[in-house]
Amino acid sequence: MNAFEASALALLAGFVPLGWVGLRERAIDGVAALELAGALATLVLICLAEGYHRGIYFSVAVVCAAATWISGLVFARFLGRP
Amino acid sequence: MRNVVVDILLAAGVTAELLCCVGVVVMRTTFDRLHYTAAGTTVGPFCILVAVLVREGFGEAGLDAIAAVALLFLAGPLVIHATARAARTTER
Repeated sequence: MNAFEASALALLAGFVPLGWVGLRERAIDGVAALELAGALATLVLICLAEGYHRGIYFSVAVVCAAATWISGLVFARFLGRP
Repeated sequence: MRNVVVDILLAAGVTAELLCCVGVVVMRTTFDRLHYTAAGTTVGPFCILVAVLVREGFGEAGLDAIAAVALLFLAGPLVIHATARAARTTER
């Protein structure tokens, strides 16, 4: 296991507290946790792509970052409706 | 030497991200949580990006990593702002 794979594994541990917030707290707090989870997922994909020496997998991280952005805006829009 | 730099940058990036995760759990209000969410799209990703660039250089993989982190960095504040606005609306 190289440093990037170990980093991806350590970053995956961050999903546990964020999942806790998403399940136990209010919906808007869950959105905040979800946005950080999206950033974490992007970084995990970057670390895995570098760890496995697969350059093409970096594109998955780009798509994940874009999806995180769009999903965050959608959730914020619908939760912010009066 | 290059491996040591990569290891230090990765450790810093992972630590920053995990601290942000802990901050989201520990904080009580939505706005405090959003503060840590915003920090999670800046400090940690840049450390990991620099680690990738030190290893890969500015090749195709490096440019893809720059694109992903730039998306996080530039789009993050927009999403945080929209979420904070939604939180303010729901608290009224």
